[in-house]
Amino acid sequence: MFGFLKKNKIMTIIAPMDGEVISLQEVPDAVFSQKMLGDGAAIKPSNGLVVSPCSGKVVQIFDTNHAVGIETSEGAEVLIHIGIDTVELKGKGFQRIAKVGDKVDVGDALIEVDLDYIEAAGKSTITPIIITNMEKVHEISKTAGPCKRGESEILKVEVKA
Amino acid sequence: MEKITVIIQHETGLHARPAALLMRLAEKFQSHIELEKKGRSCNAKSIMGILSMGAVKGDELIITADGSDETHAIEAIKELFDKELSA
Repeated sequence: MFGFLKKNKIMTIIAPMDGEVISLQEVPDAVFSQKMLGDGAAIKPSNGLVVSPCSGKVVQIFDTNHAVGIETSEGAEVLIHIGIDTVELKGKGFQRIAKVGDKVDVGDALIEVDLDYIEAAGKSTITPIIITNMEKVHEISKTAGPCKRGESEILKVEVKA
Repeated sequence: MEKITVIIQHETGLHARPAALLMRLAEKFQSHIELEKKGRSCNAKSIMGILSMGAVKGDELIITADGSDETHAIEAIKELFDKELSA
């Protein structure tokens, strides 16, 4: 009954990898650049450790370990997709650290990826970080430039109450 | 309620692009649409739901639609699997 008192929550997404934040439009895959999966940002990584960008629960890790889904306590769903077309590598170059169901905090290790291997296999290492349930998002603001995993804020998301 | 069973033919399974296509299509219908694989089900209008099925090539999916446009929804989904998601 006090619905009118509900306020939108502001949630920050922290860089899951070291590197440089770029816009989704610069990602060389239309699924991401046209925001078919949702809105967010991407990182050109300089280091292969992938950590949690938010506190929440790990809801999905692909068998191939190249994508991780996290549900935050605010109700947003965050997808980290490591590299482009990396599903085709069938798990090679990726090592899982976290598991589905784990409660995670910002900076907790999720996946270790061999960036040299990905590049040698002819794939881009650009890693999109997407909010997949955009129907719950009121507004999203983005940054760009160098980022440090577990520290730099890359997105500010206003989640509908 | 309308229902079909599909076998995933797409090489990479219901991953990013196929999942996005399916979700965008499901969203166009008013009906409640669910996917089911080996007794686990999810809402077809949720990307994370679809991805969490972890459906790979060869997996069998049961898709159900329940609502006023259920027949159209199932026809459109069948066409998606027969065409765009057939390889």
